[in-house]
Amino acid sequence: MTINRREFLQAASASAVVASASLARAAAPAVKPVRLGVIGAGSRGQEDLRQFLRVPGVSIAAICDIYPPRYAQVNRLAGAEIPATASYAELLGRNDLDAVLIASPVAVHAEHVIAAARSGRPILGEKALGFTVEDNQRIVDEVLRAKVLFQIGHEYRYAPWVKESIRRVHAGDIGKPTHIYAYWNRNGNWRRSVPSPDPDGKLERLINWRLYRETSGGLGTELGSHHIDIANWVFGEQPESVLGTNSICVYRDGRTVGDNVQMVFNYSQGRRLMFSSITDNAKNGNELWIYGTEGSVQITIEDATFYYEKKRSNQPTADKADSKTIVERGVVTGASYSTAGEMPYRGPGERVQTGPETDPTLESIRSFVEAVRGEHPIEADVHAGFGSGIACAVAHDAVFAEQRMAIPKYRGAAAAT
Amino acid sequence: MAANKSRGFAGTLITLALALQLGRPCPAQSPARRAHAPLKLFTFTHPAMATTFTLYLYLDDAARASAVSDEVFDEVDRVEQLLSNYRESSELSRVDREAASAPVTTDPEMMQFLADAEHWSRASDGAFDITVGRLMKAWGFYRHRGAVPPDDELERLRAVTGWQKVQLDEAARTVRFTAPGVELDPGGIGKGFAVDAAVRILREDGVPAALLSAGSSTLYGLGAPPGRRGWRVVVPGPLPSKRTLSVVLLRNQSLSSADCSQKNFVANGHLYCHIMDPRTMRTVEGRIQVSILDPSATASDALSNVIFVEPPEQSLRTLAASAPESRALIVSNPVSGDRASGATSHATCTLYRWPGAIDRAHCPAPPTQPSRASKKK
Repeated sequence: MTINRREFLQAASASAVVASASLARAAAPAVKPVRLGVIGAGSRGQEDLRQFLRVPGVSIAAICDIYPPRYAQVNRLAGAEIPATASYAELLGRNDLDAVLIASPVAVHAEHVIAAARSGRPILGEKALGFTVEDNQRIVDEVLRAKVLFQIGHEYRYAPWVKESIRRVHAGDIGKPTHIYAYWNRNGNWRRSVPSPDPDGKLERLINWRLYRETSGGLGTELGSHHIDIANWVFGEQPESVLGTNSICVYRDGRTVGDNVQMVFNYSQGRRLMFSSITDNAKNGNELWIYGTEGSVQITIEDATFYYEKKRSNQPTADKADSKTIVERGVVTGASYSTAGEMPYRGPGERVQTGPETDPTLESIRSFVEAVRGEHPIEADVHAGFGSGIACAVAHDAVFAEQRMAIPKYRGAAAAT
Repeated sequence: MAANKSRGFAGTLITLALALQLGRPCPAQSPARRAHAPLKLFTFTHPAMATTFTLYLYLDDAARASAVSDEVFDEVDRVEQLLSNYRESSELSRVDREAASAPVTTDPEMMQFLADAEHWSRASDGAFDITVGRLMKAWGFYRHRGAVPPDDELERLRAVTGWQKVQLDEAARTVRFTAPGVELDPGGIGKGFAVDAAVRILREDGVPAALLSAGSSTLYGLGAPPGRRGWRVVVPGPLPSKRTLSVVLLRNQSLSSADCSQKNFVANGHLYCHIMDPRTMRTVEGRIQVSILDPSATASDALSNVIFVEPPEQSLRTLAASAPESRALIVSNPVSGDRASGATSHATCTLYRWPGAIDRAHCPAPPTQPSRASKKK
């Protein structure tokens, strides 16, 4: 007799499960279940869902997406038939949700976050917080009014090497941080495949929403919001203004956002963040440099490394032995220029040691679930989301206007009541 | 088994010359017309999993082909981030770190990967085993610094090697190691798992014909080039010869190959192959190369290791019992590790439902091979 692989697997795993289940369950700590509702189950939403399913006690209760092929994709990802709907109101009307993940396109974040806040559920909202200035203001208003937990999807706030780097920067390890240069460079057209035929272009606009100005903040929002958030974290404030530019340099495929962008965000005391993204060369990848008066730190999506400026002595030298030698023997005159003085420090630097590199998204989602269970407050809260979201909203216009534009602060909950 | 199977099977060559002819420069067309435009062959490459993935696909539009290839390679990268034992942030590395202390909750895809690996370990009585992480490091194959470990070290490593030390609770979605120090090495199955995931993207995108190659050691042929019955794949050998040993057509199935050509070391005149028999804790002797066809790339990848490790007669029994739909070609040489004897002078070919003709002049059936196996259809 022969059996096929699936039958074999089922038979074999059944006995293995019986053998190991009692052992595994006995050792697993009891956790409070968290049933998740999802609005927006595209590529980023699905990645978030995979990470949610790696946290003990989390299950997916239902999803909402207006693109039906997502339903089967989520079923496969979850290994189960997940109730699905195209109506977020229907999803939020369920009585079996303990928390809501919002991973829809940025242009509808406000609509979805506000509806979820009014339903009273804790929310994990993907970045950027809101699309327009008014969207960002209203989201904060509504989240505060509803008194719901809200975590923004700035996962690098939870990366151990980023946290340790910012702690050291705040402790003065590189002197006074004055400038941050950040890059997220890729080599690809940022385009997703669209089923053919698509005669009226609806699927193109639905699937490639990131490429169109009316639905996307472009590279500055979709990629740069993380770097803006880290700069806000370092400087302890949101930027005051932004100037920028963008163009279409390579991908002339009908998109209306730039395939490259450069933005300068101005903070108090003349401090600045420069963000650049190009999409036809990935040499720099995703990295962020914090420059301080005494050193620098390079932060990537996997690690962080500190470098220090050459030491400058301000100590009196009158009593030092070598000073006396100079007096006795004289000094030698010659050309003053040394190329070494203009060369960057090329040593290996000091890599930040924080234990194993963990996945930032998993860390942030685990923290969110713990917050939902009441174990600790939210770290990357709605105010952190506002600080980067409002900057993105203004920068989105600034890169087309190519003018310096002021970035408003949160108007305050009083304005919303 | 093999953790880290040969990344660039020198010999699995893809012949595309006949498939390159169709299509002509395609001016901008309306979407309605584009649906009837002739198919053209597009080729893309992408570095991943310490090798180069190559995608050949037929579509009518360059922009769409580019978008599809981006999605396919994004998926490969995603699976690499799931399974890499070289990245601390991968899910597999997290399991390695935490599963000896307590059951680790993981996602269904990772559970499926672990269940697949467990299945092939059970089916092969341990010839396939992903718990060889420490063993591969001891032999120096993790960082390409090969050396024969002392016997006492190998004995000590038995405490952290063995697929039964990985316990899965599929209902609770947890994995637990019963011994501290176990390290998983996905090298014998990971690329196949990635290829299967990528092929799902190709199907969802409605690609009519494509060939995806993971460094040529695992390939999947989706559909067939226009006017062809399948994607032509050449199996050369017996290695190190570049002669054609056999030719097969792939259509909606995968092919995986294993050999020693890319990852090995020589000590005292003996060639040590990177493919391990986890039961003996030693490198495999007596096999030159294997190729196997199966509808699942995950299965063919794992099975290529199984039939490399097991003696051919045992491989035939394992395939008949656990993968009856597969088709395999096994090239053996009893003195393959002895470099002085001539690597291919005694090569023999054992077949299991192999669909292509074999160059029997250079690879006869083994004296003890039951002729029924090669004729079984």
